[in-house]
Amino acid sequence: MISDKLAHRLLAAFAVVVLVFLFLPILVIFVHSFNGGRLLVSWGGFSLDPYLAVVNKPVVRDAVIVSLRTGAIAAVIATVIGTLAGIALATRPGRWTLWFIGVLVLVSVTPEIVDAVALLPWLVTLGTDWGLPVFNDGTVRLVVGHSLFAIAVVTFVVRSRLVGIEGDLEAASADLYATPARTFWKITVPLALPAVLSGGLLAFTLSLDNTVISAFVSVAGTTPWPVYVFSAVRQGLRPEVAAVSTVMFVLTMFALALVAVVLRRAGESTSGIARTLAG
Amino acid sequence: MSTLEETALPQRRAAPAGGRGRTRGRRLPFALALPAWVWLAVFFLVPVLQVFWFSLGRKPGMYGTHSNDVLSLDRYVEAFSPTFLTVFASTLWIGVVGTAICALVGIPVAYWMAVRAPVRWRGLLIALVLVPYWTNFLVRTIGWQVILSREGWVSSALESVGLIDQPLGLLYTRGALLLGVVYNYLPLMILPAYVAFDRVPSALIEASKDLGAGRWRTLTRVTLPIAAPGLVTAGALVFIPLMGDYVTAEILGGVRGNMVGQMIAAQFQTAQNWALGSAMAVLLILMIVATAVTFYAVARLLLWPRRLARRVRLEEVSR
Repeated sequence: MISDKLAHRLLAAFAVVVLVFLFLPILVIFVHSFNGGRLLVSWGGFSLDPYLAVVNKPVVRDAVIVSLRTGAIAAVIATVIGTLAGIALATRPGRWTLWFIGVLVLVSVTPEIVDAVALLPWLVTLGTDWGLPVFNDGTVRLVVGHSLFAIAVVTFVVRSRLVGIEGDLEAASADLYATPARTFWKITVPLALPAVLSGGLLAFTLSLDNTVISAFVSVAGTTPWPVYVFSAVRQGLRPEVAAVSTVMFVLTMFALALVAVVLRRAGESTSGIARTLAG
Repeated sequence: MSTLEETALPQRRAAPAGGRGRTRGRRLPFALALPAWVWLAVFFLVPVLQVFWFSLGRKPGMYGTHSNDVLSLDRYVEAFSPTFLTVFASTLWIGVVGTAICALVGIPVAYWMAVRAPVRWRGLLIALVLVPYWTNFLVRTIGWQVILSREGWVSSALESVGLIDQPLGLLYTRGALLLGVVYNYLPLMILPAYVAFDRVPSALIEASKDLGAGRWRTLTRVTLPIAAPGLVTAGALVFIPLMGDYVTAEILGGVRGNMVGQMIAAQFQTAQNWALGSAMAVLLILMIVATAVTFYAVARLLLWPRRLARRVRLEEVSR
């Protein structure tokens, strides 16, 4: 029988190994973003050229711009819809919430490939068969695809922020003769704000990362960055993929750090933040 | 929190016509969820139902993608071809083995982070798991491609040490795919498992120690049973997306590591047979649900004797 102390040490060592394992491919991508060779996998000396591709190569630049634009629009839509739904869930409990949460859970757990193969024919139906040309637009299609999971995330984040505290304050506000609209703007919205901001940033990063749904619904001319990378995998990736990915990585981490700071300021505990960021 | 709400509820029901100002204030929040209802119905529920509908149709000729003029279950019969069954079986294998490895690796790590690691480290440790989790899935997977390829790190390291004399073909194997999915879904196991362990009241752990239980006994008798539902959720969170994965298989799996996701994608993107692709998607959903239900049933059955034994003991104690 090994002693408790030794078991503890072994466990700690194991955890450290696992954490290193989790960072391994990220480190590899970072190192290879300075690869001066022709192909990503084979090292050809140190170079900053891959980073210049963002500026010099129109295909790469366009893909990044499509990603950023889609992310911004999808985040705004998901934030508006999700915030309203989150407030409703937190302040209006009842039997409907079970159904609604059921749908949100379904949205969250459905494998992305199923969402993707469901959305593609549906967008074609809407755009071609029903004569709604707006659904033939590449950006609209991407935004719709990215919004689904993002709405669920924003709703849950806002709900968990408001549930419990909001009801009492709302009642107090009503007791003090505030109109419902005034209560909404003076109590509910300020309380929800940190969660709204966090949810929005999460929605943005989710959109930046989305590959599977994007690969199905995107149309020629509006190729987001992950789809560009994914379609280039077969032909052999170039080092600029790692460079752009590193830039995107920094952007994502900045957004997440912002979420953590906002939530911390709002008085959220460490594990509360972890729960929010774990989606 | 809801005492006020609960007392207000019957009042509202008692006065359906009068007090319009009050009911409007109460009804408003429900209307707030309407945009979400509409959006998710139009862009999620209806499209998914359409998949079920298409799966009953057929592919009309060379250029059509789908037709529902004749309804039948023929696509499901067609889907059960030998190739599909092989891929189906290997997907299930990857899903089950991958989830099991994620659990074996992730749960101890989560336990250490939530219970054993110094409290002041916890924020940092969670951040260390969150960073890979939020790193682009595709990019992480490509990182492994760089590591495992013939010109990659592992191969050249082994070669320079002299353990092998020619480049190692680690990529495009089932092992590479398994490594990839374990890596990709490990944070999805660690994070919910961390939350599950974190929710175990430390007072109970202290009490268990005070009553003379060792750390191992405390773990198996107090911590794990309380955290169990959260751990099962973590397992589901890994298993479900893993079964539908297609990016990892595409990048690391190659020919020998095919998954159902790729077959479905091929029906939509290359074969243009939406009916067959839809039937495969429905089968994938059914397979996920069936496996989850089986797992749950087996787990309950296995734990039943233990539970029964414990219940009796508890009653004796209380007597």
